[in-house]
Amino acid sequence: MNLEQLLDTVPSYAKDLKLNLSNLLQQPDLSKQQIWGSALTSAITSRNPQLLKAITAAAAEHLKPEAMEAARAAAAIMGMNNIYYRFQHLAENKKYGTIPARLRMNVIRTHGIEPVDFELFCIAASAINGCGVCIDSHEKVVREKGTGEEVILGCVRIASVVHALATVFDAELSA
Amino acid sequence: MLGVGDKFPAFSVMATVSLEKGKEFETITDASYPGKWKVYFFWPMDFTFVCPTEIAAFGKLAKDFADRDAQLLGGSTDSEFVHLAWRNNHDDLRDLPIPMLADKKQELGKALDVLHKGIGMYLRATYIVDPEGTIRFVSVNDLSVGRNPQEVLRVLDALQTDELCPCNWEKGQATL
Repeated sequence: MNLEQLLDTVPSYAKDLKLNLSNLLQQPDLSKQQIWGSALTSAITSRNPQLLKAITAAAAEHLKPEAMEAARAAAAIMGMNNIYYRFQHLAENKKYGTIPARLRMNVIRTHGIEPVDFELFCIAASAINGCGVCIDSHEKVVREKGTGEEVILGCVRIASVVHALATVFDAELSA
Repeated sequence: MLGVGDKFPAFSVMATVSLEKGKEFETITDASYPGKWKVYFFWPMDFTFVCPTEIAAFGKLAKDFADRDAQLLGGSTDSEFVHLAWRNNHDDLRDLPIPMLADKKQELGKALDVLHKGIGMYLRATYIVDPEGTIRFVSVNDLSVGRNPQEVLRVLDALQTDELCPCNWEKGQATL
């Protein structure tokens, strides 16, 4: 089932989500790489296998292989960082922030695509995983590189809707 | 003795890389394996006691080092033929997946200044060299004390682990 066919199975109570996604995947302010990379990172982070399969196939039509890998890498590495750094920032004991993390995260340096886009994928994952300071630090970096709030929000909208659709498909599958 | 921050010396030696007839020997230099970290470990003499256990232990970790983009390179002042004979002779070394450098002229050992002053053989020296050719870790034991390869792997991991994410960025540091 490709993405279009999968979206056709969205129940009527979630019609808003289906329409939001089709709009967001065509938004003019974001590049194809930003749109589809954010969608792929969000699909991985949202953990519904059907949606992930369909979005992966659709993204592959718009993304070069390095960008597909970079989107996967962002989901993977933020899956770790969102938990670790959210713990640090939520913990009352601020000493944790001074102790070395000892966690490898070299892919943040070696992903091989435009740094701004990789950061946007990381923001999408952080929005879903809910790490507040990850969001703040990544969005600050992106704005300092000249990207505006509208583009950032464009990626976060994608993250929000992809996540919502994932919960719908989880519910429909177990029904 | 060369240490952390020094450039690993230029060298060119024969090495024993395989037991397969016709493919046993290759020339290896400081420029071999471009883009990789290098982990050099030297021992005094082939056909002695402590060495085979260490070398085999490094061999068992070869995949872990490879996963971290690091090439293991063993070596002593023995010739490449002695290395070949030793590998053929010793059960634990037969399947060794690591090249054995033959620093016959002691040129690398002298450049590193890690030869035993009395007998001119290598002390048990280990070097981790980054892809740019800079020494990042050096450890030297006296002749009779073996090494812990797991510790070398731990150090390599630590050298490669940087907190790269923006929440650790401090004002003034370069960004990615």
